[in-house]
Amino acid sequence: MNSRRFRLGGGFYFPAGLAVITLIYLVDAFRLGPPMRDGNMTASFFPIATALIMLVALAFAMWHSLRGSFATSAPNDTADEAEAKTNSASPALADRRYLGLSPGAIGVIGLTAGYLIAFDAIGYFFATALYVLLLCLLFGGIREKLPSKIIATAVITLAGYLLFEIVFQVRLPTLWSQ
Amino acid sequence: MDSLSGLLGGFTALANPETLLYMIGGFLIGTFFGAVPGLTSVLAIALLLPLTYSLDVTTALVACASIFMAGMCSGSITATTINIPGAPASMMTALEGYPMQQRGEGAKALGHAALGSMIGGSIGALLLMVVAPLAADVALLIRTPGKFSLIAFALIVIIISQRGSVTKGMIATLLGVMIATIGIDVVQPVARFTFGTSVLVQGIDMMPLIIGAFAISELLIQADSRRARTVDLSQVQAARVRRRDFIPPLSEVREIGLLRYLKSAVIGYAVGILPGAGGSMAAFVSYAESMRSSKHPERYGKGNPEGIAAAECANNSMCGGAFVPMLTFGIPGDPTTAIVLGVLIINGLQPGPQFMTQQLDLVAPMFASLFISALVLIPLTLYLLGPYFLKIVSIRRDVLYSSIAVVALVGSYVATYSTFQMALALVFGVLAYFMRKQKYPTVCLLLGFVLGPSLEEYCRRTLSISDGNPLVFFTSPDSLFFIALTAVFFYFMVIRKPKDRGIPGQAQG
Repeated sequence: MNSRRFRLGGGFYFPAGLAVITLIYLVDAFRLGPPMRDGNMTASFFPIATALIMLVALAFAMWHSLRGSFATSAPNDTADEAEAKTNSASPALADRRYLGLSPGAIGVIGLTAGYLIAFDAIGYFFATALYVLLLCLLFGGIREKLPSKIIATAVITLAGYLLFEIVFQVRLPTLWSQ
Repeated sequence: MDSLSGLLGGFTALANPETLLYMIGGFLIGTFFGAVPGLTSVLAIALLLPLTYSLDVTTALVACASIFMAGMCSGSITATTINIPGAPASMMTALEGYPMQQRGEGAKALGHAALGSMIGGSIGALLLMVVAPLAADVALLIRTPGKFSLIAFALIVIIISQRGSVTKGMIATLLGVMIATIGIDVVQPVARFTFGTSVLVQGIDMMPLIIGAFAISELLIQADSRRARTVDLSQVQAARVRRRDFIPPLSEVREIGLLRYLKSAVIGYAVGILPGAGGSMAAFVSYAESMRSSKHPERYGKGNPEGIAAAECANNSMCGGAFVPMLTFGIPGDPTTAIVLGVLIINGLQPGPQFMTQQLDLVAPMFASLFISALVLIPLTLYLLGPYFLKIVSIRRDVLYSSIAVVALVGSYVATYSTFQMALALVFGVLAYFMRKQKYPTVCLLLGFVLGPSLEEYCRRTLSISDGNPLVFFTSPDSLFFIALTAVFFYFMVIRKPKDRGIPGQAQG
């Protein structure tokens, strides 16, 4: 049996995610009131119009992606299987993705989110030093040139402090000022 | 006469040591960011944006202008030496520069690129000084319906100039418009899309959007790969380069011809005025025209200095043109001028028709910075730093990106002294990462965000004045003019698409 299966990729899921956000936005826009009152546009008119045009454009993008996925799918072989074959042929795991994010990107997001929490809690110096060191390890590898990474961490943290606090007079949070 | 003395006053302002220092510093930063593949001058200016809270507005504008000019020129360094354009605007330069590099003429190719950039950038800055005041006079004639149609024209041209991805350009622009509607309504005191939180009542600031879209997203993109350095030096032949190798022979400059330089500069400037076009399109159009009018079109794609001159002259001249709509109409056509607009807004200034006459003392040093950066700093930097360019840009990625992360995130904190802005920068960074991965133009997101509120305001004001009659957009002459202009652009850019045939490298995509 010649079964043609296809796999949806980021080209479909990204506009689909935006469509969900747009729908929430549209519902909230309707809560602002009717789009027209006494022949004049109200605060909800423009958002409603924008959201409706956006939904049409997103539907077109999703349809385009669906058509593309179906056209490129191979018979008797799912895209997942095809991808598995490709991955087994390639020794690198760098292309592996989770919810469309590479492990490196997930690492940067996680570290940055942690930095934002630590920035307020333990102040600029400790939070930044830790953040920079971990980013250096993420971008440059864990085992390579560790002493130079520690020196770079100290230099970047101090340079950031001098730039913002001393040169541009920005009051940064510190552990001793909490 | 007042305008002339005001413009000359801009050059005098550069004599201030602090302003001069920021111009040179900005130029060096722009050169570095433009040369490193993946980094752009837009990112450099985005990182500078938070610092403008503490800087004098004139100094900030001077630094922005020199970063812009340097970033546009320095993309040719890696385009020529390793065939990877440091900036998208240098793609056409790579077509000619890299074959020259393979012939052992890389230094000469960089010399031609610098000469073209110097001539184009200087002419573009001069044209800006001449045209901007005239454009401001014309802008005074445009009334509210015309302003709406002008902004709509700008947004539509930005969308349709996204070659091959008009739908994605439209989605990105509308997303920017939607984000801009968060907060207090532009006409009535109504809070919109705050979802019950007080932090969103004041709306979304431009800074976290810019930092997220251009800095954080770049970090995430770079985290995908595992290269140790930004540029692999093993790709470059270790031939020793002398400073005099950078000076292009007079015979080749004569062969290129003054007319080609002038024509390329005018093309670049005109393309720069168009919303959304940018340096890539300026270089492309100028390169295509140079090839069409050349006596030896068969030499293109094989290392022809004519192609380098045409592309570099145009993309640097574009810098001058890009400032015209931003300063006179308050409409930025590209991300750099959008960020410069942000610098002005942070300082309580709103560009428009009268801005050029009332605030000439603030913007004249920026014009002078563009001119001096092109005329003096481009050749001087090549001569002094040329032999070390590749070593400078082959910086370790761990050091570079962790530095960018700190400047970007702490910079976001500066605006309101709150980590909420930093969190917003992260959210927009993740959004822009997905957009870039799926080839949605982040430029459209930014321009939609910047122009959206004005579009809504002028639309509602017009309909309020005309008792809700939408026909006013067609009966008002200035509005009708921009609607007709939009139709013309739509016809030529969408219905009758420009053909790429014959341009080397275009067939491969």
